[in-house]
Amino acid sequence: MFSNQQIETLPQHQRIQFQSLADNAIWHVQINWLIFYLPLMAVIIAVRYFNTNIASSIAPHWLLVLPVIVLLSLLYNVYSVRAKGIAVREHDIAFKRGLIWQHVTLLPIARIQHTEIHRGPIERKLGLATLRLYSAGGMSADLHISGLTDKYCNDIRQFIQNYGCDERVKSDESIDE
Amino acid sequence: MNNNEWQRVSRWALVYFIVHFAIRFFKGGFLNLLPVLVVFVTQVEQKWFWAQIATSVAVVGLFVYAFAYFINFKYRISSEQEILLNKGVFKKERLTLKFARVQNVNIAEPFYFQPLNLVNCIFDAAGSNAQEVVIPGVKLNHAEQVREQVMAFKAQLQQESSDEQVIPDEAVSSSQTLSISNAEIAKFGLISNMAILALAALAPFINAIFEFLETAFIDRLEAVFNEQAVFIGSAATMAIMVAVLLMILVAVLLSVVMALVRFFNFQLYLQDEKFKRIAGLFERQQLSVSLEKIQSVHIKQNVIARLLKRYTVVCPQVSSGGAGVASAHKNKQTLVMPVLTASQVRQVCSWLFPWFIDLKELNFIKPERALLYKNTVLYALLPTCVAVVFLHSMFDLLVVLWGLLLLPALVSMVYLSYQKTGIALYHHENRYFAVFKTGMLGSQYRVFEVYKAQSATTTSTYLMRRSELKSLYIQLASGSVTMPYLKCNQANQFVDFVLHEIEATQRSWF
Repeated sequence: MFSNQQIETLPQHQRIQFQSLADNAIWHVQINWLIFYLPLMAVIIAVRYFNTNIASSIAPHWLLVLPVIVLLSLLYNVYSVRAKGIAVREHDIAFKRGLIWQHVTLLPIARIQHTEIHRGPIERKLGLATLRLYSAGGMSADLHISGLTDKYCNDIRQFIQNYGCDERVKSDESIDE
Repeated sequence: MNNNEWQRVSRWALVYFIVHFAIRFFKGGFLNLLPVLVVFVTQVEQKWFWAQIATSVAVVGLFVYAFAYFINFKYRISSEQEILLNKGVFKKERLTLKFARVQNVNIAEPFYFQPLNLVNCIFDAAGSNAQEVVIPGVKLNHAEQVREQVMAFKAQLQQESSDEQVIPDEAVSSSQTLSISNAEIAKFGLISNMAILALAALAPFINAIFEFLETAFIDRLEAVFNEQAVFIGSAATMAIMVAVLLMILVAVLLSVVMALVRFFNFQLYLQDEKFKRIAGLFERQQLSVSLEKIQSVHIKQNVIARLLKRYTVVCPQVSSGGAGVASAHKNKQTLVMPVLTASQVRQVCSWLFPWFIDLKELNFIKPERALLYKNTVLYALLPTCVAVVFLHSMFDLLVVLWGLLLLPALVSMVYLSYQKTGIALYHHENRYFAVFKTGMLGSQYRVFEVYKAQSATTTSTYLMRRSELKSLYIQLASGSVTMPYLKCNQANQFVDFVLHEIEATQRSWF
């Protein structure tokens, strides 16, 4: 039978109310960043201190640039974490990220192939977890969301796992009626 | 058909194992051994002697390994609707593949099996090479029986799971064919980039090749040119140019041969909602693809194809990661129609999409002009400025002025690329199809049914947000498509519509 019903209600993603990451998320980002950059800075300073050739070519005041970069990066991280947000809707999961390039990704739950939850040592200490959601065909996870509470991650995973079952139950009920 | 006894394959399957491991060695091992080979070519004395020793050891090793593999190889089609495989030499493997997980059963007929009426039965588990199960050297009728058994089981499963699915009556009984002549296939050698790949493969040996060419060819050619007073300029330069041209010619010839080996006597059938393709010179590869499993259709025409008025059509299935079409191309389960005329493209695409019209007639939404301005600055003005500054530091003003000629060339390329970017939606019998267009000198179209999308992303920079613009990125199961610089409301509407189609359509997407 031919039908051509007008679509009245499109799922309007621009009205989504995004939920911020966990309070501790900023600490996770800052600690991760410092773990990488502090040793790097120490190496640069050590090389400058012990190598006379390099010491003569880099004036001492240039070393002040390093803490300035660190401070600016820490400030950038604060705004970057604030810019991130997640929203779980009835049929899809939305995630926004980015300060300069702002991305909004929408992943329908029906297309999720598998879910992963990662917890590194710092995340475990802060009660956080990283959620990775995979659909088909991508090279890596479609959504990679770090800085969520462990409980929230597990809730989302449970919601995804129940999604197909709930849909089937609904359709079975409507058939029974 | 079901058998609880383990079965051995025919003893002729040993030939398959030898060929299979030899190919695997060349594809994987050879590349890993490339540095050793480069050292061998450039450093080792008595090359011929050591090459003979190494080749003999490799051949004996290959034969012994293939024989041990053949001895350990057993299979069983169990009564529980699964294929069991025992294989391996150093690491024994027991592989179980349930019929329900089989995507396709393909039958390949290598040339060395043709007189014996034997074939290879290939079970594809998830559209990826890694999950392929091959039973080599089985009788053709046995392979066909197994295929029917698997497909009958799959059909039964599908009927149980989706009673809603309606197959048009005329499609069940219809059978359409498409043959491509070998002369046309040879054109694919010219169109494709296999020649460049062949040249790239020779890159590590370029010094040795030039040394050989110099002694065997260039010196003699130079002498001939020196005798001819008509040539103006250096005879040595002319000889090198001729040698380079000949190398390119050989690479193109090699590319044509590779195209013929892959697609020789190309035949395509559409039967029972399935594409069946048979092609190949040394191995007649039979590929079977259900229409519903095709994730998108990629119609492309590069510059050479444009001159020859030909197109290449690629129909990828679900790819297990990789950069979209590039990885899908390499996937054995991707249906590639190498050289088609415009009318053949319409014919094949109308089997897939009954609505199919000439895509040039579609009303494409073009990106906003801000994209043109941005690309002109980034890809034309900036490189020209860098080139001019670089030339100015090394040469005089005249050369710098020549460098400025770069600007119109780059601007033209940016403009052509902008003109050929677009997106269109097509509505047919309550089904929605998206067409993404890209290109510069050639053109590429990506057509897919909207509900097959996997996820949608919008991206915007600060300047784009000020101009109310967004770029669109759609992830498909066979790669991804992008549409830059759409108006904000258009991009949002498209994402909303994609979500609606995914969430509201009940049909299976794979």
